[in-house]
Amino acid sequence: MSFGVQHTSVREVPVLVVDGELDGLTAPQLAEAVDTALADRPAVLAIDLSGTTFLDSSGVRQVVRSARAAGAVGTAVQVVCPPDNHPVQLVFGLLSIDRLVPVLPSTDLIGRDTRP
Amino acid sequence: MTVPTSSRVTEEALQHCADEPIAVPGAVQPHGVLLALTEPDLVVVAASANGPGLFGAAVLGRPLADLLDARDLAALRAGLAGDLTEVNPLRQTVGGEPVDLVLHRNGGLLIGEWEPLAGAEQAPASWHARLPAVLARLAQSTTTDELTAALARDVRALTGFDRVMVYRFDPEWNGEVVAEDRRGDLEPFLGLHYPAGDIPAQARELYTRQWLRLIPDARYTPVPIEPAGNPLTGGPLDLSGSVLRSVSPVHLEYLANMGVVASMSVSLVDRGRLWGLISCHQYDGAHRPSSTDRTAAEFLGRTASLLLRTVQETGDRDQQVAVARQQARLTAALGRAPRRPAAALVDGPVTVLDLLPAGGAAVRLDGRLHLLGSTPPADRVPALVAELLAAGTPVTDRVPRVMPDGADVAGTASGVLAVEVGGGRGDFLAWFRPETLRTVTWGGDPHTKELVEDDGALRLSPRRSFAAWSEVVRGTAEPWRPHEVDAARALAAALATARLDRAEEDDRLAATLQRTLLLESPPPVPGLSLAARYLPSAQDVVGGDWYDVVPLPSGRVAVVLGDVAGHGLSAAAVTAQLRHALRATLLRDAGPAAALGALNDLVARLLPDELATLVAVELDPATGEVAVATAGHVPVLRVGPEGAGWLDVDRGPALGLLPDAGFEETRTVLTPADRLVLCSDGLVERRGADLSAGLAVLRTAGAAAGSLPPQELVDRVLAALDPPDADDVTVVGIGLAGAGARPGR
Repeated sequence: MSFGVQHTSVREVPVLVVDGELDGLTAPQLAEAVDTALADRPAVLAIDLSGTTFLDSSGVRQVVRSARAAGAVGTAVQVVCPPDNHPVQLVFGLLSIDRLVPVLPSTDLIGRDTRP
Repeated sequence: MTVPTSSRVTEEALQHCADEPIAVPGAVQPHGVLLALTEPDLVVVAASANGPGLFGAAVLGRPLADLLDARDLAALRAGLAGDLTEVNPLRQTVGGEPVDLVLHRNGGLLIGEWEPLAGAEQAPASWHARLPAVLARLAQSTTTDELTAALARDVRALTGFDRVMVYRFDPEWNGEVVAEDRRGDLEPFLGLHYPAGDIPAQARELYTRQWLRLIPDARYTPVPIEPAGNPLTGGPLDLSGSVLRSVSPVHLEYLANMGVVASMSVSLVDRGRLWGLISCHQYDGAHRPSSTDRTAAEFLGRTASLLLRTVQETGDRDQQVAVARQQARLTAALGRAPRRPAAALVDGPVTVLDLLPAGGAAVRLDGRLHLLGSTPPADRVPALVAELLAAGTPVTDRVPRVMPDGADVAGTASGVLAVEVGGGRGDFLAWFRPETLRTVTWGGDPHTKELVEDDGALRLSPRRSFAAWSEVVRGTAEPWRPHEVDAARALAAALATARLDRAEEDDRLAATLQRTLLLESPPPVPGLSLAARYLPSAQDVVGGDWYDVVPLPSGRVAVVLGDVAGHGLSAAAVTAQLRHALRATLLRDAGPAAALGALNDLVARLLPDELATLVAVELDPATGEVAVATAGHVPVLRVGPEGAGWLDVDRGPALGLLPDAGFEETRTVLTPADRLVLCSDGLVERRGADLSAGLAVLRTAGAAAGSLPPQELVDRVLAALDPPDADDVTVVGIGLAGAGARPGR
């Protein structure tokens, strides 16, 4: 399955759209995309996992690392994962990721609520 | 008539120009006589119309014996037996006048060209006496500029032309005047550029075969050859080797537009490719260097051609040494820091940017991009490099032309030298050169093309204006030299090799480390029955799973199973730290939740980049009392006579996620018929399916196993789930030992 990170934006919030399997092999690509996006010091950066079909612990770790890297430069990270994306939701639920970063059910909410 | 230029019309005219029969014009210039002869009888089968004028009689159909005196004929016949280039020119006397004869063969015919000395300019004898000094000066040149300057000066001294230029072609066949020697009152042409169209492709092709061309008087009237064809072949008479060959009327018009009356050019050929020309102009009248002087000029051109390669390579040598030195330093830095190759290339005293002259550099290793100097923005670099690599143009000094959508980064990256670093992860090294705005001064506007209608066919009219016309060339950078490309590729190869070595060593180390972390089999604990299985991943990549059994001071026993995110040496190292830290906190005997809380603090404070999940179970073998705490881990399965179900545990977050997370304990009591199954996510995680599917299979397998001893339970669970070998897998089964261990039987 092909993996890719696309840069878009929603209501002027930069969004990284992560498609495919986010694991130990592909996590560096997300890291690079986040580094690039943070260069502009946005107030909010969204990571859209709607199209992410698989997430392992290395992938989660990368999401966590990215959120921390963003926090260090004053950027709040929002993660988008629809409730029906079970592969990602179940892993997030197990690890309680939503206690670190807000997990939004839809891209419609990007930029509207930045508090964890 | 001048007509408006459209690209279609221009193409038609250019084609017309390309098709012009320059090798078979059927005529010669009037300063000599051409006779085509059969061998061995030496009978004239074709002749230029001025033949009778020179020989004093009709020539066509007659044997040469009738036209030459016996001594000249004998010398000619003697020359025919050997290499013709060695006898040329042959001095003869025709009609009482000295004449130089030049011979060559073409199309089965012997072509003789007789050129009277009368009217030719002769270099002073002193020039020929100085020839050794001239050659020494050429040979001692250490740069192309020195060589071409010496060439222009000496060819002018030899031939006496008003202006002698050395003209160099660029890869697109535009020409630049790189050296010049001229009459003092003439305006300089040095540095002027001429568009490729000024010397058409078929002329250039001819120039690599015929080294010298002469037009003593561009105002001449062509002398026809009769008959025009080759009587042996029936085709036209090929004059490509003729020194008297009449040139294209377009070229004559071009010379007239430039005010040139006489012109000569000598080819400069480097390794078979036309490198440039020695171009000679006379403005105030006809000019014809003698055949001997022309031979000497051609000799100088051929000598310089041989020297070109040496001189160009000498000029590069200092740069080559510098690049080689930096390459050695970078390779050594990689050797000293094999685990941090990016740092070695980016943070050291010598960086990749120092390897070769460039404005910026990029290093992408393990998916991380590092930029040095001035480069395009970070979000453009990977795509730019990937596109250039995919297009097969990873080395270019004109990015906007090979990749139009790269035009906006031309400021920093008009030149890109990119090399892949093996491993299939899209890693690369790249260097960038900025746009160098070059002002090119053309000898006339190169974009002007005039078309004239000639007998109903359109042809290109040569340019009329040669007034200097300046143009700024954009989107190009200093070209990459072959030794620079070689050094870049060698560095990438060294990097790939170092990485491969490192990966193998890591695997060995990690496997060794992990063997110390994993228990061969759980230690025997009185009152408990324990079984554990660990399956490494197939790629021989060590994962972060571990389990441990720790007897506690209170008499209880802690059984833990953890999973550190990531693979390889770093994950194994983190696993070792967590295992030992957890042992210490468990031994305080304050319960599993307290132990997890302490471990979480440790990860959050000391290992902030790490993430781990963990389940800890403490059992009292005497009572069957159990306390369970979990940090983001896969749930614990309880299997008993009533079936299988998930232990309802108050889950805490993964370790390292939140600094002050609290963890809760869940308590229950096991009967001797109950079993607990702990596993890592490798058991239940599947690509293409969510976690719940794997958990459902686990639960069903557990229910089917019922109250089998833990070892059999673990084996059945593994058989039912048949986990893929992408991740490592750990399963631990726990039961109370004793008489009631197999109540189902």
